[in-house]
Amino acid sequence: MSNYTENELAKDLENQEYKFGFVTDIEADTVPIGLNEDIIRLISFKKNEPEWLLNYRLKAFAIWQEMTEPEWAHVQYQKPDFQAISYYSAPKQTKKYESWDDVDPEMKETMKKLGISMEEQQRLTGVAVDFVMDSVSVATSFKEKLSELGIIFCSFSDAVQEHPELVQKYMGTVVPSTDNFYAALNGAVFTDGSFCYIPKGVRCPMELSTYFRINAGGTGQFERTLVVADEGAYVSYLEGCTAPQRDENQLHAAVVELIALNDAEIKYSTVQNWYPGDKQGKGGVFNFVTKRGICEANAKISWTQVETGSAVTWKYPSCILKGDNSVGEFYSVAVTNNYQQADTGTKMVHLGKNTKSTIISKGISAGKSQNSYRGLVQIYKGAQNARNFSQCDSLLMTDECGAHTFPYIECKNPSAKIEHEATTSKIGEDQLFYCMQRGISEEKAISLIVNGYCKEVLNQLPMEFAVEAQKLLAISLEGSVG
Amino acid sequence: METLISNKLLPFVADLGPTKLQVPQSLQAAAQAYLQGQDFPTTKAERFKYTRLAKLANAQLSAAHQLDAAQLEQYGILTDAYTIYVNNDQILIPQNLPVGLEIHLSTQEAGTFHEASFYDIFGALNILHAQNGVSIALAKNCTLDKPIQIVQVNSGGKSFYRHHFNFGANSEAAIYFVSKQQEQTTSFSHTHLQYEIAQDARIKIFKLQDTAQNHFDFNEDRAQQAAKSHFEINTLTLDGSFVRNDTMVAVQGEHAQTYLNGAYWLKEEQHVANYTTIDHQVANCESFETYKGVAGDKATAVFNGKVFVRKDAQKTNAYQSNANVLLSENASVNSKPELEIYADDVKCSHGSTTGQLDENALFYLRARGLSAASAKTLLLQAFMEDVLTYVKHEEVLAYVQQRIAERFNWNY
Repeated sequence: MSNYTENELAKDLENQEYKFGFVTDIEADTVPIGLNEDIIRLISFKKNEPEWLLNYRLKAFAIWQEMTEPEWAHVQYQKPDFQAISYYSAPKQTKKYESWDDVDPEMKETMKKLGISMEEQQRLTGVAVDFVMDSVSVATSFKEKLSELGIIFCSFSDAVQEHPELVQKYMGTVVPSTDNFYAALNGAVFTDGSFCYIPKGVRCPMELSTYFRINAGGTGQFERTLVVADEGAYVSYLEGCTAPQRDENQLHAAVVELIALNDAEIKYSTVQNWYPGDKQGKGGVFNFVTKRGICEANAKISWTQVETGSAVTWKYPSCILKGDNSVGEFYSVAVTNNYQQADTGTKMVHLGKNTKSTIISKGISAGKSQNSYRGLVQIYKGAQNARNFSQCDSLLMTDECGAHTFPYIECKNPSAKIEHEATTSKIGEDQLFYCMQRGISEEKAISLIVNGYCKEVLNQLPMEFAVEAQKLLAISLEGSVG
Repeated sequence: METLISNKLLPFVADLGPTKLQVPQSLQAAAQAYLQGQDFPTTKAERFKYTRLAKLANAQLSAAHQLDAAQLEQYGILTDAYTIYVNNDQILIPQNLPVGLEIHLSTQEAGTFHEASFYDIFGALNILHAQNGVSIALAKNCTLDKPIQIVQVNSGGKSFYRHHFNFGANSEAAIYFVSKQQEQTTSFSHTHLQYEIAQDARIKIFKLQDTAQNHFDFNEDRAQQAAKSHFEINTLTLDGSFVRNDTMVAVQGEHAQTYLNGAYWLKEEQHVANYTTIDHQVANCESFETYKGVAGDKATAVFNGKVFVRKDAQKTNAYQSNANVLLSENASVNSKPELEIYADDVKCSHGSTTGQLDENALFYLRARGLSAASAKTLLLQAFMEDVLTYVKHEEVLAYVQQRIAERFNWNY
């Protein structure tokens, strides 16, 4: 492939089919389609929820009905029909698995295809996996080891049953149902998710990981994740996703809330590879996610994301730096191909003194895709000596794609220092020339440059995850990465 | 978040007469349609996110009155220029123009106002109600020996002006647009400036905004650039309680160069918003944008710069930067530098910084015997120099520096 040119690379990218496209045929317990109070009561009843949670859902539903879908994002899509979605789908066996062997073999097969076989995970990596398949947590491992330290890591529904006081105390404090249209929808119909609580002063000894997977036709997934790190605690949380190929658009409106109390640290890493639609832009997942964390004094929240999937992405992992000396970080690689559209970025809200935030965003656009960075850096009056550094780079692979930057910078404190810089360019011909002159083939050279371009972000991922992220980047941009 | 209880736009437009200018019917129809059912935009509207119009909606404007020629002449800054005075319904045009330069009243001449985009109610109101304006044409290959100075004096009431410039091929000119305010008056003005820059023309626009603390100064600049032209707009906001600049340059010919620069020195409760758009429609062009400002007291500065690179505009180089220094606890800065890029072979970058003076630099100067005040002044002066360097006219530069020194007690 000595004559491998950028055009050929672009062509290759266009011909790239989604590799994880398959549907697992598991009998699912699904509620009728549509959305009304009865459906919400049904979901709540099926999940055997306490009354306060049902009330929370109904209140969120009332709020949602008053809201209209946001239009400001730089994306265009056919709006989902919220009455044509089934809001609950659970694998049919409702009994808990006693051991790993009890799990439906077909489901195990699915996990194998995803490369996340649980045995392997358990044996090789020491990562505890809370596997979510269509809204109900199937198996949870390493639970005992974690519970020795007092760490609670379970599905959201289990947490509601077993630790209602914690859930009630923290749920909706960072992302209230009034926050936005999709957060309200999630508040009304969320089915499951993960809950994680790290007690005071405990450093979680392993990376906690949840694999999400959308399954069963016509089911939207409404996950809710709540991570609470008590004073002085540390946790690194991984989230990764793949979804089967499907024609009709699927909606995913998750809410992730992180709470880092005094001196705590939360590291939240995401690798997202939902079905992006085919070459004609048909199908694909709509990913409308609200992710936000709050930092108390001296706390730190770090978001790292590698986004390669979804037809439409609408996602802004944010940090509210409430406590003094708190730190927020956002590292992102977003790759869009074919007709994918991504409008992603972050919000850093500086409230406390000496708060610091760093934003590194790397966008790669290929095919006919549109990739936007949208960010907000807000320095409030009381945020003495706040510091922000933002860097948003975009790499364009073809002449039919677009890369956009919409940063908002609002400063109300004179002692704050804010820096923002953004660049947009294609792979430098001089860089390519330099590499090729030294005997590196063009394909390898492109791969080298793209790899180097993303390095700053990939370096932030935990080891186990970095491998997967690189795999996904390679799949999304095969021929150029890896 | 403010909401205006009842429609305040209706009383605001009630006393406006229909435009006396030759504005195309289609444009008027579009403006009419746009205004249907509109009120003053609230901060929920993206373009007014940081601008509260309640102040304007509730303002008691003083009655419009006209100044005589002798009074108007006091407001000019350049002594040696072709000076046009604009004051409410009257426009004074200089005599003895050189060959190649033609200046007409837009009310008399069938103006060539083409379809120009407007983004807000004020742009639409201007189309329907512009009462005055000049049409300036510079013939091809003509290099003006002296700059053109347009002095707009605001003396109460609401004024909508609509000016048109046509710069012929290979022409060269500098235009100084001076906006001033008569003392003891409260007024509103909206000025639409349209520039057509032909091939190889070299045009520099300097806007000296020096209105008073009780003037609402709205500006809308629309430019079209042909191939190989060089076009500059330098906006210096020296004073004015409420200033909005909405500048849009459409780059339509290859190898054109565009410079948009702005400087603002804010104090008290000033609100200055700069909205810029550079629309790169063709390949091989360059644009450079530098906006710098200082904000003290309770002032708010807004910068929203957009660089738009269309699919065919390959090999575009676009640079944009916005830097701010906050001088007080209650001042605020909102910056939104945007890039929207649909071509791949481009180099575009933007940067935005907000901060305060470097303590090390201050210490360095203090160690060498400068007082705290003069060390600060020196650094702020140096900070703004990036933009002031574009002002080559001695008289203007001296005026700018004197005004800033006066207002901020800076001793240059």
